[in-house]
Amino acid sequence: MAASLAIHSRLHVALRIAAAVLGGYAFCWGFIALGMAGLYALGMPFHDAEHLLAMLAFLLYAAVFCWAFVARSLPRVWLVLAGAASLVQMGLA
Amino acid sequence: MFQNFRLAMTWLHTWFGLALGFVLMVVFFFGALSVFDREIDRWAIPQSRFAPQPMPSFDKVLRPVFESMQPTKESIERMKDKVDGPMPERFDTVRRWGAYTTHRDPVLGLFAGYVVPNAKDPEDGVWGNRTIDPRTGAALPDDRLKVGSRFFYPLHYSLNFHWKNLGTWIVGFAALMMLVALASGVVMHRKIFREFFTFRPRKTTQRSALDLHNMTGVVALPFHFFFAFTGLVIFAGIYFPVSHTQLEPLHELHEKIEAQETGLPHDRAGVAAPLASVDAMVAEAQRRWAAQGMAGEVGFLALQHVGDANGYVSIYRAGTDRIALVGNGIHFKASTGELLREDPPKSAVDGVNEFLTGLHLQHFRHWLLRWFYVLGGLAGCVCIATGFLFFVEKRKKQHARAGSQGARVVDALAVTTVTGMLIAALGILIANRLLPEALPAGWPPRGDLEQYAFWGAWVLAMAHAFWRSAPVAQGRMAPAWREQCWAIATMAVAAVLLNWVTTGDHLLKTLGAGYWPVAGVDLFILTGAALAVVAARKLGRRARVVPAVRIAEAAHA
Amino acid sequence: MRDALLLAAAVLAATAGMGWLALAMDVHWEQVRGADPLAPSTARLLRALGALGLAASLALCLAVDHASMASLVWVMALAAAALAVAFTLTWRPRWLGPLVAWRGLARSVK
Repeated sequence: MAASLAIHSRLHVALRIAAAVLGGYAFCWGFIALGMAGLYALGMPFHDAEHLLAMLAFLLYAAVFCWAFVARSLPRVWLVLAGAASLVQMGLA
Repeated sequence: MFQNFRLAMTWLHTWFGLALGFVLMVVFFFGALSVFDREIDRWAIPQSRFAPQPMPSFDKVLRPVFESMQPTKESIERMKDKVDGPMPERFDTVRRWGAYTTHRDPVLGLFAGYVVPNAKDPEDGVWGNRTIDPRTGAALPDDRLKVGSRFFYPLHYSLNFHWKNLGTWIVGFAALMMLVALASGVVMHRKIFREFFTFRPRKTTQRSALDLHNMTGVVALPFHFFFAFTGLVIFAGIYFPVSHTQLEPLHELHEKIEAQETGLPHDRAGVAAPLASVDAMVAEAQRRWAAQGMAGEVGFLALQHVGDANGYVSIYRAGTDRIALVGNGIHFKASTGELLREDPPKSAVDGVNEFLTGLHLQHFRHWLLRWFYVLGGLAGCVCIATGFLFFVEKRKKQHARAGSQGARVVDALAVTTVTGMLIAALGILIANRLLPEALPAGWPPRGDLEQYAFWGAWVLAMAHAFWRSAPVAQGRMAPAWREQCWAIATMAVAAVLLNWVTTGDHLLKTLGAGYWPVAGVDLFILTGAALAVVAARKLGRRARVVPAVRIAEAAHA
Repeated sequence: MRDALLLAAAVLAATAGMGWLALAMDVHWEQVRGADPLAPSTARLLRALGALGLAASLALCLAVDHASMASLVWVMALAAAALAVAFTLTWRPRWLGPLVAWRGLARSVK
């Protein structure tokens, strides 16, 4: 295990953690915002949409967090998380 | 970053488990204590040692108390930066009056929210609170710290670190990491079924610690998962405040629509109006619940827009016999007592959300389930503590050879977080009994001194842990563990004796009277003392045996 | 009182169930029964008994509380029972002997 880490610099590890924590958060925020707006527009009561998306978001965050470390390519992780989050923000604006 | 999935999960579990384990230990332990937070309050505030009471008469008991309340100094301080203009001397426009009680509360907590003129955000306000004896309406002194419900309980979800809600965020991240640790732990644990019942204490410390870590983690896996998950769900509004930021316009729109649909006005009318008999409204609410086959007590009573024509009274049934905290709200027009609305049955999503939050917050009556929760919480603590032990044991010999202090530091931090935490908890209970009832003028409030005792005891324990952990850097066991176990045993017995000496409520008396809140806390503390003695003696024996073995090995070399 | 007795019975049933499931495993069977061999048919029987014990525990929980409360009590009872069985196997494995009393006395002790 130490050997696999030695291949990657401290910077790489720091960027992975940042991707998981910050990228994951932004990704899940977008998921909630888009989901809530969408479900409310489809007729679901506001607080129901709020609660449902929150519950799903925490599970999603845990999964995405793990994925950020499992995925082979760090640039891909950033692209997916930050990319999706940005798309959602642009869509909602 | 890693060759395969399992390696990645192992790395995550090890390093994030270690880092957040220190926080999770506090969360699980004080969470376990919080199951009986109100009972700990009884122990800490002897004046409240009487039987739980139902919600008293609003008209006769509560109204005079509410009318005499004003916001707290702290609340006014916090509001100072959020107003355009001066803060008034008195706050007389009441947005909300509320009282909440459960089947375990002898004393009643009241809160009041006041409108602040010139507030930057019109929804913002200042808050006041008071605790009364519901039998008479007499107020308890405001400086009595409810060690259970207002110290241990908030500690477990916020570390009592309120600046910018940072403590709550740290706990939230730790909870998320708990979910990750559970998933990664399952991935790592190849023999999860085969070793379900396996605990081998006579093997190496490393193997025994790992056995116990795996067992306590797996056996209570549903508990650990659900408490971490539901804890996050409860504070979702803080962690993902989407409705109050990005989707605020949508939220406000919904509030206005909802106010029209429900007939419960969102804003004041600006026209004064009298208050009809709330007791009559309560009686009507209870009549309606009984008619639906679910007679019950009032759990939550709230008045919105007090003194205004748009004012309404909301009465909720206590969830003593169900998982949801309160339910079946019935709302009345404040000025006339006419029925405005009976809450309809919950939607599916709402029902699930209520179930999840209710199972965590536990306001139901079920003593066996409560004790099972304590067991689950303590199992979580054992899981985390054995995780630390395994981490140190696995590395201390290599670190000793390499001259690294890493294992020593982690071991000292582990002592601080495990035994040190218990010393701090006992420290506040002892201070609670030792401090005089009335403090000299100019001294900080009694509750503040109790909190200093808690943190001070913990800092001392940490200093001791670091001082007495040098052997770990040579690959041996630190005497700090054993020494702190003896400290715990001594302090625990002292706490129970102090309860006797300062209040006269010794165990024979409380058991004889069946006053379980105080008897239960005393018994729990004494059980802890017994376990600490057993642990201290075992560790002492091991400390004597191991050097003997080394001498024998050296002799044979 | 009735509720307390039913819940006590639920915890006992869960413990017995966990005990039977543990005994269905070679290593734990040996801790309790020594040199007495564990036949595959016996292991299957023990697993069935284990499942029955856990199911009975759930039924007893449901007799006391409504479903949402009872399911929580049951899940926690299973955890408590598993811990009890595990610690019994660690320190006093013979105490689980009565669960397989029909096998007679154990032939040799470990």
